Amino acid sequence: MTRWGMVINLAKCMRCHACVAACRIEHFLPLRVTWPRLIAVETDEGYKVDVSTYPVRCNQCKDAPCVDVCPTQASYKREDGIVAIDSDKCFGCRYCVIACPYQNRTYVSRKRDPGYFPGYPKTGFEKKGEKLYPHQRGTTEKCNFCMERIDAGLAKGLKPGIDRDATPACVNTCQARALTFGDLDDPNSNVSKLIREKSGFVLHPEYGTDPSVFYIDYKLGGNDNKAPVEAQTGSHIQHLSSVYEPVKEKLAKRYE
Amino acid sequence: MNIRTARQWMVTHEWMVKPMAQTEWIQGKGLLVWLAEVFSALGTGLYLVSVFFGLKEEFAVTAFWAGIFGWIMIAVFKLPLHLAYLGKPWRFYKSFPPFSSAWKTSWFARGIVFTMIFLALAVVQLILQGLIAYDAAAFNSGVMDANYVFMVLAGIFCVMTSIYCGFAMSYCKSVPFWNTGLLPIVFLLMGIADGLALIMGVGLVTGEEVIPTAESATRIMLIINALLILAYLVNANYQSTTAELSVKELIVGHLAWVFWLGIVILGIIVPFAISVGSYFTGEEATAGLLVFAIVCHTIGAFSLKYGVLKVGIYRPLLPKSQAY
Repeated sequence: MTRWGMVINLAKCMRCHACVAACRIEHFLPLRVTWPRLIAVETDEGYKVDVSTYPVRCNQCKDAPCVDVCPTQASYKREDGIVAIDSDKCFGCRYCVIACPYQNRTYVSRKRDPGYFPGYPKTGFEKKGEKLYPHQRGTTEKCNFCMERIDAGLAKGLKPGIDRDATPACVNTCQARALTFGDLDDPNSNVSKLIREKSGFVLHPEYGTDPSVFYIDYKLGGNDNKAPVEAQTGSHIQHLSSVYEPVKEKLAKRYE
Repeated sequence: MNIRTARQWMVTHEWMVKPMAQTEWIQGKGLLVWLAEVFSALGTGLYLVSVFFGLKEEFAVTAFWAGIFGWIMIAVFKLPLHLAYLGKPWRFYKSFPPFSSAWKTSWFARGIVFTMIFLALAVVQLILQGLIAYDAAAFNSGVMDANYVFMVLAGIFCVMTSIYCGFAMSYCKSVPFWNTGLLPIVFLLMGIADGLALIMGVGLVTGEEVIPTAESATRIMLIINALLILAYLVNANYQSTTAELSVKELIVGHLAWVFWLGIVILGIIVPFAISVGSYFTGEEATAGLLVFAIVCHTIGAFSLKYGVLKVGIYRPLLPKSQAY
């Protein structure tokens, strides 16, 4: 059996957003829909405060809660371990969005898909995208490991993770080679070796979802008890006010 | 176009790093879910209480009309509100057999199936109850026997309809505050307490002597519910840091007014004080006071669901936030 998986080397990731851009181009993503995300974490080592980056995307869990909760079976698991969504079945209840412990699903609403230039006619790129990769408003979407590329590549006899035409767009485009793709069930695959040699870890293993996205090489992933600044303070009341405002203005402004 | 709008997908997200509130089921269109769940609690609670009152001949008319109102709340308010929330409402049929077998794993799909079956069985039961209510001879005939059967069947599916929402929410490991088996019980018992309050209103109109019985049952239910909510909050407080944060948000945070004013004072203390007052005076509360108690109780039902949905906070994503 094959189970596609990804290993993300956090030490190599340099926050260039190339993976995010590649995914956007590959899937013609609507303006405010982002399948892979780069999230920033502040770490306080006592003498310096550092901002680190975590690339996150759908974990393609082996025991995926989103598949279990889907009332129409629009979310389903393929034999190769990829969790996919049949947009023609999804009726937009957003139960999967809430049930996903990794919050990696996005509901495509009118607000999230206003067009790239709201108020102006659609560009040729947008029109082309609608034909090639239609996104249905009122349904839920997420990363699917570029399963179209994998399927097309396998049909040509290519090997995902090795041959570019059968490998997810984000992995191909990562100039720092922080992303590695391959078969988790093959003990000799590049991903299995990396996980074994560098003690790969997954996000929230205690949920028992058995994710297919592993992380290696970073202080937050090890056991040195580095925690986000807020967690280290011990006071949780202090960020009650920020619970409803998850995006800090200063981070956004930095890129303006 | 705003530069930030154009570039926002390139911004590194400080997202799921700290606890983040769920918004899908409580903000914007998500308010429809809240309203649907409130009507679900009120409707199923009223119907269940009507079934119990329907066992006695002297309450037959009240039981009939209470059952009708309960059914209407589910069929006319809850279901359409849920449908209105969906992104693609016309695909609604894809969630139940034979179009899908999702009911095997999904509480949402189960809930839809339970609701449909409940509505169908309740129609038959209400027809039989109507015959009994307006034809005294029917009570001691085969009609009552048939009514018993449908009371049990519809009652079972009514309980299922009442609790499925709690199970659907408690399944979400991502929201530790909901992730407890107590939630369905809280929703069920609060719904029954709401039903007891509402049936007093029906009793005021029909003139049957349901109020003393309903009041004494309300006293017990309110005490049980107060203890249950307390147990729920204490349990959440020790469950995880994120759940603790939810509790704090509910009790001393942004939503403290919903909890203290809506749930505690209007939802529990005021109705309890009115029913205890009539217990000690030995006289039934006046119609005005009863209506006030019913209104307070209903506000409590709206507040409970609002509070629970609003303080649903996701556990942060990163490994070292396991402290949460």
